[in-house]
Amino acid sequence: MDIRPNRIKDKIAAGEIATIVGGMTHPDDIDAFGPIAVNHGFDGIWLEGEHGWVDASELGNLTRACDIWGLTSVCRVNDNHQGLIYRTLDRGAQGIVVPHVNNAAEAQNVVDGGKFPPIGKRGSYTSRQGLGVPNFMEVADDNSLLIILLEDIIAYENLDEILAVDHIDVFFVAPGDFAASMGHKGNIDHPDVVETMNDAYSRIVASGRTAGAICGSANVTRFLDLGVTLLFTNTPEWINSGAAGFMDIVHNHSK
Amino acid sequence: MPVQKDRTTPHHRKAIHEMQLRPNRVKEKIYAGEVAVSVVGFTHPDDIDVFGPIAQANGIDAVWLEGEHAGVDHANLGNLTRACDLWGLTPVVRINENSQGLIYRTLDCGAQAIAVPHVNTAEEAQNVVLGGKFPPIGRRGNYASRQGHGVPNYMELADDHSLLIVFIEDIIAYQNLDEILEVENIDIFFVAPGDFAASMGHKGIWDQVANIPEVAETMEDTFHRIHAAGKIAGATCGKAGLQRYLDLGAKFFLTTTQEWINDGAANFMDIVKNH
Repeated sequence: MDIRPNRIKDKIAAGEIATIVGGMTHPDDIDAFGPIAVNHGFDGIWLEGEHGWVDASELGNLTRACDIWGLTSVCRVNDNHQGLIYRTLDRGAQGIVVPHVNNAAEAQNVVDGGKFPPIGKRGSYTSRQGLGVPNFMEVADDNSLLIILLEDIIAYENLDEILAVDHIDVFFVAPGDFAASMGHKGNIDHPDVVETMNDAYSRIVASGRTAGAICGSANVTRFLDLGVTLLFTNTPEWINSGAAGFMDIVHNHSK
Repeated sequence: MPVQKDRTTPHHRKAIHEMQLRPNRVKEKIYAGEVAVSVVGFTHPDDIDVFGPIAQANGIDAVWLEGEHAGVDHANLGNLTRACDLWGLTPVVRINENSQGLIYRTLDCGAQAIAVPHVNTAEEAQNVVLGGKFPPIGRRGNYASRQGHGVPNYMELADDHSLLIVFIEDIIAYQNLDEILEVENIDIFFVAPGDFAASMGHKGIWDQVANIPEVAETMEDTFHRIHAAGKIAGATCGKAGLQRYLDLGAKFFLTTTQEWINDGAANFMDIVKNH
């Protein structure tokens, strides 16, 4: 048995746009979303473990639901910790997102946790993605996706050294904390924030690396124009739009 | 052993003493002649919690917890219905058998409404009432239900607050409709197209078979007769079918997030693909 393809990693390597959807907290939700994802061409599922409740005990069930539909399971962890990173990979995640990476040493720590020697220091174990895959240890590093979040102004100041770290697949610029670290809490549209983020994207793309962004239908074009090729979006926006559309009909009928 | 001091302040004691049974939003709305809407598609309490503000902003009344076909069971009903309570959404649980014990255990675990599938005769409808109401109306077993925690007069109010829904979804139920409509204490007669059509020989996807002329005609007659009997009808549909059922006078609706997610996904990817 071959290792499962990492759909996002394959798309990025082919220079294509890859998309991740967040908002699903139960394996059955992912299973129900599977055909929708296949139908519309989505590539990955975002499992939220920085702020949400995804943990090691749940990751097996969650990532199995992703595996069934060929969706890349991407898990955000809440600490830049080598043990947490490789345990999350061991439990079945195909991609890791590490928040608040602010310098080259911190980016290198993600690589140390995410890759086996000689590249990094990932502990040797039969990962769930390695079950039945005889050459897992040879192919694992090529199939794991490492994403770091640049979301502090200090990361922007250290951007050149961060971009020089090898084996990071996606440099993701996250607006909320970025704005807060610039003194504009809750104001991600502040001109200084927009300008700084745009410059960060330009420099990521100029260095030949892959940029990621969080967006919805209203602002995805902005990030596509900036050269972003990994897009992360969320189901609550769609549920909200659908709910509004449905209830408009109900309310107009009642009048 | 030292005597434990009572740390509850007079304020706390008053709050506990005066706690009232949570309102049943769907029940209040339908008996006020208003339309009530429930949404299915949530399998985890955290999803309901995320949906709470969306439901509030859009005036949605209830969350449908699917236990006829999906994973809702008694071990997770407490957490699921608590998330509904937090946002004032009526938890409606569809169960998968017309069993008195199953009905009242589901209410005991926190459901405010029960939906029973495939009710085909007056006797079967009466069985729903026997499971869903305490004596003297029914035979619901006496227990401190989760919705009754801290509510001193729970036993007096419980029957007025619980909402009973029966599914009219077989052609035999249509043939027995008059006798079914005579059963008291059923709040909603829900006309479901998928099984209804299948029982008429038209197996297919629920929102498509609802448009087959023979099925549509029979369903429409069902709605008319429910209303002629002075009872309340329920329907399931997406945005496309909604106007039809509103025009037919349905007051309770079941819709699903899957359609909204599909539409949102299509819209997002349209932009990406056209870029």
